[in-house]
Amino acid sequence: MSESGEIISRNIIIVGCGKVGAALTEELCEEGHNITLIDTNEERVNKLTDSFDVMGVVGNGASYSVLKDAGIEEADLFIAVTDMDELNLLCCTVARRASHCEAIARVRNPEYSDDISYLKEKLDLAMIINPEEEAAKVIARMLGLPAALSVKSFANGRAEMVRFVIPAENRLCGRQLKDLSDVTGGNVLICAVERGEDIYIPDGSFTLHEGDQVTFISNIIAARRFFERIGIQNRRIHHVVIVGGGKASYYLCKLLIEDGIEVKVIEKNKQRCEELCDLLPKAIIINGDGNDRDLLREEKIADADAFIPLTGMDEENIFLTLFASDVSNAKVITKLKRNTFHDVIGKLNIGSVVYPKYITAEMILTYVRGLSASMDYSNIRTLYHFFGSRVEAIEFEAAGNSKTLNIPLKDIRTKDNLLIAGLIRGRRNIIPGGDDAIRQGDRVIVVTTHIGLRSLDDIIA
Amino acid sequence: MNNSIIRYVLGYVLRIEAALLLLPILVAMIYQEDTFSAFVVVAAGAFVLGSLMTWKKPRDTSVYIKEGCVATALCWIIMSIVGCLPFVMTGAIPSFTDALFETISGFTTTGSSVVNDLDVLPKSILFWRSFTHWIGGMGVLVFMLAVIPTIGGSSMNIMKAESPGPVVGKLVPKVRQTAATLYKIYIVMTVIQIIFLLLGRMPLLEAIMITFGTAGTGGFAVSNAGLASYSPYCQWVIAIFMMLFGVNFNAYYLIIMKKVRDAFKMEEIRGYFLMIASATALIFINIYDGTMTIEHTLRDVFFQVSSLSTSTGFVTVDYDQWPAFAKTVLIIVMFIGACAGSTGGGLKITRVELLFKSMFHEIYTYIHPKSVKKIKSDGKTVPEETIRSIQIYFFIFMVIFSVSLLLISLEGRDFESNFVAVLTAINNMGPGMSQFGPIENFSSMTVLSKYVMMFDMLAGRLELFPMIILFNPRVLKALFTPPKFNKNRKIWNY
Repeated sequence: MSESGEIISRNIIIVGCGKVGAALTEELCEEGHNITLIDTNEERVNKLTDSFDVMGVVGNGASYSVLKDAGIEEADLFIAVTDMDELNLLCCTVARRASHCEAIARVRNPEYSDDISYLKEKLDLAMIINPEEEAAKVIARMLGLPAALSVKSFANGRAEMVRFVIPAENRLCGRQLKDLSDVTGGNVLICAVERGEDIYIPDGSFTLHEGDQVTFISNIIAARRFFERIGIQNRRIHHVVIVGGGKASYYLCKLLIEDGIEVKVIEKNKQRCEELCDLLPKAIIINGDGNDRDLLREEKIADADAFIPLTGMDEENIFLTLFASDVSNAKVITKLKRNTFHDVIGKLNIGSVVYPKYITAEMILTYVRGLSASMDYSNIRTLYHFFGSRVEAIEFEAAGNSKTLNIPLKDIRTKDNLLIAGLIRGRRNIIPGGDDAIRQGDRVIVVTTHIGLRSLDDIIA
Repeated sequence: MNNSIIRYVLGYVLRIEAALLLLPILVAMIYQEDTFSAFVVVAAGAFVLGSLMTWKKPRDTSVYIKEGCVATALCWIIMSIVGCLPFVMTGAIPSFTDALFETISGFTTTGSSVVNDLDVLPKSILFWRSFTHWIGGMGVLVFMLAVIPTIGGSSMNIMKAESPGPVVGKLVPKVRQTAATLYKIYIVMTVIQIIFLLLGRMPLLEAIMITFGTAGTGGFAVSNAGLASYSPYCQWVIAIFMMLFGVNFNAYYLIIMKKVRDAFKMEEIRGYFLMIASATALIFINIYDGTMTIEHTLRDVFFQVSSLSTSTGFVTVDYDQWPAFAKTVLIIVMFIGACAGSTGGGLKITRVELLFKSMFHEIYTYIHPKSVKKIKSDGKTVPEETIRSIQIYFFIFMVIFSVSLLLISLEGRDFESNFVAVLTAINNMGPGMSQFGPIENFSSMTVLSKYVMMFDMLAGRLELFPMIILFNPRVLKALFTPPKFNKNRKIWNY
């Protein structure tokens, strides 16, 4: 539910009610859009229409008559996220011909990964998303800063938003934020703290405690230095073990190998091993069961710098990371499909958790928010949800007509619980002080508990 | 069970009822009747109570089908209790049981009356009586969904529990807009009918009250003279509008969306018009004897078929005097009822169509035991689940019908009177036959019989399940157990 400005509901059609479709429905419904779902499986449609205020149509999303039933003529946005790439592209092609809506397709087969920009242009799509590849990027980014629980980047990596837990007896415990200049070095800004069930957008007098989950913004180099100063180790990762050889692990391996990291993949299926062998000549491919304790010992996971299970089973992934954190000091990252038990999972010692479906949902949400604001307003570039969608971090591009331009920040009356956490000007990330002002073309990072901001002017109270 | 959301919904409904009571207050002011104070007291009381109940928004806003059913059933009961107070307080209907009977009969759009002399009642009381039809026709919870922001993603379960028909779908993605669209269609059609009646020189207040009775397919008469006293023009207008309000509102939505052809392709719409046409023809052939003009006979027959098939219950002729064949046709039409998704009652055309289809399907499987065949409706396969639920619905209908018939029979009236009385209550029709015929009323019933009839009316209007679920012992227990505070985990256990 939006708190800011008038609510602009868009008519959105989503084809495919799988995990990503469900996550999208949840997030977009929350924003108040009119959603129509299409799936061939009646049960899946019913399940979603029962729990959300959306309409369902049972049928093939590539069929024109089904699309007409779903109201394609009035649709503003069309999203195809079935599990078949080709079907998604076909759906979008038909939808684009049938009406003036924008179209987003999910395409995740690596065979098409080089054709993405070609397909996007020729089929005239607004966006092609690849959840597996995006998940791989997120994981790779985390490996660059192993001490962090999560790393999210803005403006193509010019600023990062880093989350970590304050360990026991750390230098930070019991200190107020305004006294932290010795460790932050002036280019780290703490923008959100989660303590137990509560979330704070802290001010200078906020005192940190052991066990707080702290989120800060800085660039990657400053973040490394900050961790050093507060005495948290940030080993460089040289050797990574991945269990499971699916699409996500293919994309991850590719990224890691480009960075010169040694990768070992354990995959059960012999044939898939051979395929991976062709695709990733530099990786070590091991044909075996990742759940086999002896095999894991034999492959010395205790010596690995990072251990990442990417099997298709959530339970397996959780057990594997639990096991790995038990026998080694490796950085562990758990990929989960479902978030049914996220509150319990939050209590387990399974390191960083990645939900590919939410990464996808966030990307699409970013796009939809941008669509909702009219063209001449400052557009949303990136959007992240934190703490179960209770906090948002949004990157805006300041347009020439924004009311916030050229006013020292201390003179802008912003909403409560809202923090301007970063200004990216050119290649530089400025940690904003009261005398800084937003200039045209700046990327402005805003952290807030007001869900639903659409343009930069929305930050004004 | 989520009791707090039920409390919240009930509170909201009370506030809406308080707002709706402003209309009879207005009528009382215009006609300067002393019923004014009674309406104001009830409206104020309902508003205060409703506001107290909605003071705190429940934290857990999930509405599962169980909560939807219980909230709906309770709402209708509470609404009726509040709604009957003006009758009691003004002395129009002094006995509480009678007043409650009249109000439930009003809200459920039945139109069975216990009032012997309508002409002595104040105008505002008559107005409120007819207005309950209009409110109950489309359903007050649907109204609630249309006016308040969604109370949760699953509020569809409330709409499902209140709207008639085996499958309740949405017209547009959001419940709120769907409900609003339905109400818009309803209001526009109501206004059109009022205009048509005014053109027929009917006094304004009477035109409004008759239209309320037609729109909700209720059927309270507004004077002792009944509808036979109106001009043939007015009778035709009323007859046609009764038929129109018995049409599935989805069809009107399709027409608004300029898909007229799709609207007339709906099997239910075709079946509905076919039923009215054939019943009219059969009865006309049976009763036409040349003593009246063809137009007059046709008008009487069409009016009665239209009135009883949509469960309105307006009467222009004492059909109790008709021959047995004509009366039997009427009883069959009463059983079938109007379209799903309309304001009418009865088993609903869709259900009957699907029951027939499943019957033929069963016969077919005897002839070709290994054949694979699905039941289709509007060109789409009907899920087994829907068919099964319709069959069970029919059985439950028959069970409630039989038990009620047994209880009513204790009074010692003849079989025809009792049979049609129960039928008329459960299908929200209005007048019965024989001793409860069109020129009689239900005031002579015993208190027990009246309560049985009230249950039947509510069960019939809410499509049986909500009332049965409300009176399920487990649900009742959950409803009356206060939540316990779990100290260890600092949460409330419901």
